[in-house]
Parts: sequence; C-alpha cells; structure tokens
Amino acid sequence: MRKVVVAREELERIIKLCENVERRGLDPFTVNVRELLEKLRRIVEENPDLDHYVIDAETLYRISALIALQHKWLREKAKALFIDAQMISTRLVVMDKKALVKAFLKAWHPIISLEQMTPQRLRQGLEHFLSLPPRGGGREFGWKITDREMELIKAKLELEEKAMMEKVKALHHELLRRFEERGEPLDYWEFIRGESFDETFERAYLLSFLITDGYVDVKRNPLKNEVKLIPHREQVKRKSPTSLVISLGGEAG
Amino acid sequence: MSGEESFSRRLMIAATMLLFKSHRRPGVRGWELKHRLGKNYMRVIDALNSKLKQLGLEIKTVFEEGEENNLDRARFYVVLSHPLTMSDLVAAGWRIDEVAALSITLSILSSRGGKAPLRDVLEVLETKFPKWKAESYLERAIRRGYIERLEDDMLTIGWRTKVEVEQKALLKAVLEAREEKEIRSD
Repeated sequence: MRKVVVAREELERIIKLCENVERRGLDPFTVNVRELLEKLRRIVEENPDLDHYVIDAETLYRISALIALQHKWLREKAKALFIDAQMISTRLVVMDKKALVKAFLKAWHPIISLEQMTPQRLRQGLEHFLSLPPRGGGREFGWKITDREMELIKAKLELEEKAMMEKVKALHHELLRRFEERGEPLDYWEFIRGESFDETFERAYLLSFLITDGYVDVKRNPLKNEVKLIPHREQVKRKSPTSLVISLGGEAG
Repeated sequence: MSGEESFSRRLMIAATMLLFKSHRRPGVRGWELKHRLGKNYMRVIDALNSKLKQLGLEIKTVFEEGEENNLDRARFYVVLSHPLTMSDLVAAGWRIDEVAALSITLSILSSRGGKAPLRDVLEVLETKFPKWKAESYLERAIRRGYIERLEDDMLTIGWRTKVEVEQKALLKAVLEAREEKEIRSD
C-alpha cells in the first residue's frame, strides 16, 4: 500500500515539474526527459492497475508537452541567433544607460499615428454627457430660482403637507378608538410603539402635532415615571401650554 | 473619374486610415483596408509604402500568431523606417532612464523566448535604478503596451514591441555595444 502511495507521489512530482517549466518559461533542457521516461516505465510496470494508468497517462502527456516545449525553445533560440540569455543578462548589467539606449534605438521603429476626433467618438461623448446625472446639491447656493421652479416646489410641499395631515388624522382616530375601548388614559410608550424604530419615531412625531394643536393632553407622573395620553374629539384651547421633551432611544418602545 | 484619379484617391484613403488612429490601438486590419480600398488593396498599400519611404516612414505588416499568411487578419501600421538619434528621443519627450529600462526588459524577454519572471527582470533593473523607479518604469512599459504581465508575475512581450522593435537586432546591438567598448579599450 505504501509503495503505491510513494509511486503516485512521484508521478505527481513529475507532473508538477513539467508544469512548472512550462508556466515559468524555464529552460526545458534542464529536465532530463530520458530519466523521467525510465522512471515512468518502472512505475507502470510495478503498478499494473487501472487507477494508476490514469495518472500514468497524464504524466506521459506532460512529458510530451515538455518535449514540444524543447522543440519550440530550440526554434526560438535559432531565431535569436542562439544568443545565450545568461550572456545577455551579464552584458546588460555591465552596460551603462546611454549604451543601452543606443542599442535600443538601433532596433526601434516607433509607430506613427495621430489621435483624431471622429463623428462616432463625438456621438459617444454626447451620449455620455446626456446620461450624466444632474449635480447633487448644485442649486443650493447662488442659483436663481425661476417662477416655474417656485411653483413646482410649492406644489410639492403642499402635496407633502396634505399627506402628512392625513397621517395625523388617522393617528387621531386610532387614539380616540383605543381610548374609548379602554375607557382610561393610554400609556404614551405603548401607543407610539411600532414594528420598527422608524415607525415608532414617525408615530411619536405625528403625535407631537396632535398634542401641540390641542387634540391630545399629556399627563406626566414623575413618581411612577408614566406619561399618559387623553385624546379630545375637538381642539382644546390651553391657558398655559408647556413643552415636554421626550427622547427616543435606539429601540422601539 | 479616370483610373489614375481613382487610384490616387484610394492612396489618400489608405494614408488617412493608417495615419489616423480610429481604434483604441493604432493600426488597421487587412479586412478593413479591403473594405475601403477594394480587393486589390495590397497594390495601394505597396504604392503608399514607396511614397512613405521617401519621408523616412514605412508600412509594417504584423501577422496574427499562427496565421502568418492571412493578410486580412494582419494589422498594418506606419512606422519610422530609420533609427532615431539620442537627441530625437529627448525631443520626443522620452527619458533616457526609461528607455534604458525598456531596453533591458525587452532584451531579457527576447533572449528567453519572449517570457521571463518579473523577479528576474527586476533583479537586472535594480543594478541600474532604485527598486521603486524600476517598478514604475515597468508599469509604464505595461501601460504603453511594450510588455504584458501575466499571472504568477510573469512578463511577456507586448503587442507594441512586436510592431516597433526588431528583437534580433536589439540582441545583436546589445552584444555589439560590448564589442565597441572592448575595441575602444584596446
């Protein structure tokens, strides 16, 4: 069993070696192909089972790819007049910058080309410009608001106010209904509690309008730390109204 | 329109197509030239080439890898036919250091069949420049298309080198530079 594992590891090592030479662009002649093939033959003869044949085949494929790489390497070398890479590296280290530039200039023929604006490019530019969003907050300072813009803003504000008044009205009805059902003042925190903090905040905010306008009275008992709500069907005029600050935490209720 | 007029008009179209950049990269494909100039576009290209040679320019044809005879898929460029001088180079806005770094990088890549690990290239560059400078020159060469960076930090010859640089001539020039020095010292 141990022998089989060792053979498999050996084959994997050969595959990795071949892959590494190919990937890293190393000299493929540094690998002894004959030795690898002999090793592969020995392993195949010692492990004649189907499971092993698969990895044997892959190893053979990798070695073949390495031989193909050797062929390519030779061709490239012939093209480069068999100049040794190590010799070039050594030369490059000893040459000064000017000599390097002069050598490069002998072999360099730069492309001559001019940039130009084409109708297609102009159209792309226009499409891009038109697709840009308007600048955010750009009209807050130093912009003259036209009458039409004023009207639009007013109309928008009126719509928002109307929507809010409807919400306040709905809350007033809910408060009255719950007050009549219970027959006693309602607990402030219990009433404003919503499903989320945002909803709780919104209910507290809308309720503050009802309280300010005199549709709801607030009774606070500092000893019990209670805040009770008493709703009215009609607006009640107050003689000496006071402010009550209630802070909402990060959690509903 | 007479035949001569038509031919000179096609010459002008070819010159415009080759000299003005209309894609992200310069150069025109053979099929694009065929589309505008007709089936015998190579006749027009040859005529334009002989006119450009009088100005020190020439048309270079670069074939796709593995398609060495397919003119339609090849790219055509106008390049400088004569070598630049040092003063031309400086006047064109190139820095001597940057070109020296490019010369080193391309020489290493060409001598190794067009591919080498980044570490090996940096090792030679760092004998001439500080590391940060060497890295920035490499980055610039990548941006300009002279080299490409592959996975596993491998460098390879870029599309622009294939068009602009005669790799064999570069290696020969590197070796000749050594000889010149030796002759002078003798």
